[in-house]
Amino acid sequence: MGLATAMLDKAPEESVAARVRSAVETVFDAVAATRADTTALLERVTAEGRRPATVDLATLRPGLHLRLARHELVSGVGFVAAPGLLTDVPAWLEWWQTGSEGDVRPLLLDLDHEHSAYADYTHWDWFALPRDTGERAVAGPYVDYLCSDEYSLTLSAPVEVAGRFAGVAAADVYLRHFEAAVMPMLHQLPRPARLVNARGRVAASTDPRRLVGSLDKGPDFAGALATGRPGRADGVRLVPCEGVPLVLVVAE
Amino acid sequence: MNQQRIDGGARRAVFAPVDSRARVDAVVRRIGDAIELGLLGDGEQLPGESELAGQLGVSTVTLREALMALRQQGLVTTRRGRGGGSFVSLPEAPGEERLKVRLRGWSTEELRDLGDHWAALSGTAARLAADRTEPEDLVQLRRTAEELAQAQDAAGCSRLYGRFHVELAAAAQSARLTREQVALQTEVGALLCLVLGDGEYREEVSERLRFVISAVQDGAHESARELVERCVRESTARLIALRLSL
Repeated sequence: MGLATAMLDKAPEESVAARVRSAVETVFDAVAATRADTTALLERVTAEGRRPATVDLATLRPGLHLRLARHELVSGVGFVAAPGLLTDVPAWLEWWQTGSEGDVRPLLLDLDHEHSAYADYTHWDWFALPRDTGERAVAGPYVDYLCSDEYSLTLSAPVEVAGRFAGVAAADVYLRHFEAAVMPMLHQLPRPARLVNARGRVAASTDPRRLVGSLDKGPDFAGALATGRPGRADGVRLVPCEGVPLVLVVAE
Repeated sequence: MNQQRIDGGARRAVFAPVDSRARVDAVVRRIGDAIELGLLGDGEQLPGESELAGQLGVSTVTLREALMALRQQGLVTTRRGRGGGSFVSLPEAPGEERLKVRLRGWSTEELRDLGDHWAALSGTAARLAADRTEPEDLVQLRRTAEELAQAQDAAGCSRLYGRFHVELAAAAQSARLTREQVALQTEVGALLCLVLGDGEYREEVSERLRFVISAVQDGAHESARELVERCVRESTARLIALRLSL
């Protein structure tokens, strides 16, 4: 049975949640490909009996450039090393972004604590969540003043070698691009709807009183995501976007 | 110095991509050396921020931090408004003396206006953050306030003070306020080293920042705004008092 046929049997909210989920999954595909490349690379280096250095990560670049070109939603992609992984530098982001003229450019941050107040990246959700849970994660929406200066979502997954955390593979989606992708879906619903993350932050909304970036302090969104099943709370219907930490909230 | 006579190849090398790891340091040294060597003349205007960042192959954040360091060293001066930009200025004295020279380049009216702009940005950010912040957003602000309390030198303290205001704007969920705040901190950061050298004042600042965080956490948006505005006004007042004594 095809996906489209399956959707016919579902309530309209569930079909919209499923479409949001597939849009997000295409970005996770870019993350997964980066993760696979990085894992293979790090395993190869380990098999050679040495530890990786920044020069090894250069082999990731063709894949990263390809993903930036192919995935419409992805504006930044790369591998962020756990501090201490590489032999020649204390920390490193092998990170590539699409520039304002459509060009592809590397992100070059100063990671020296002596000079930069922004050298430590290990507390950012996109790094800390996959490291602490071992699961893939969606960070944001948040203002990414480290890499892009944009209001963003960052999707990430842990990279592990021989059972040890080596860093994260990740991809950035600018909120304005995310909005362009999901708003037509939300508009198909007869009532105002919004997409909310596990902490209640609104990621997209067709409700003018609940804008993107605001905090929805009512329902237990983390709880809704944990059950994975549609539910109700405070006059709204909550539909988790299965497998993706976003909840579709529709007024009843 | 007649710029026409300077060798074009050497000048191009000044703006070739930087590939070193300590990027801010590399940019500071590259431009600083070029100034000491006379490859860049006194009063010469540097390319615009995004152009310069592109040429050097570094991010604008890195470039701004490098320009801030260069301002602290008194090697670059930034003029705002029409015909503004970053200009080479040949050093005449070390450290704090150079910063005081820079401060003398500001009128009290300009400093007051800078403080007003800063208070407007941070005040609004605090008010919005109080509405839009969830507990995880506060972790970074708390960490910054703690690190600031432990900071040993004025330059480090000034960087953390700047980071606090940037993080506050990010907690407000506003990319525009955050970008404005990053730009403003590159202007005011070097000058603030002059007032944050006072250990007692550093303690006072970190205390004030903790009160701001508490108000944001409580969702008390008006008092969050007022507390951060007061903190900014006090810093500006100290700068102006110092300016008047010069």
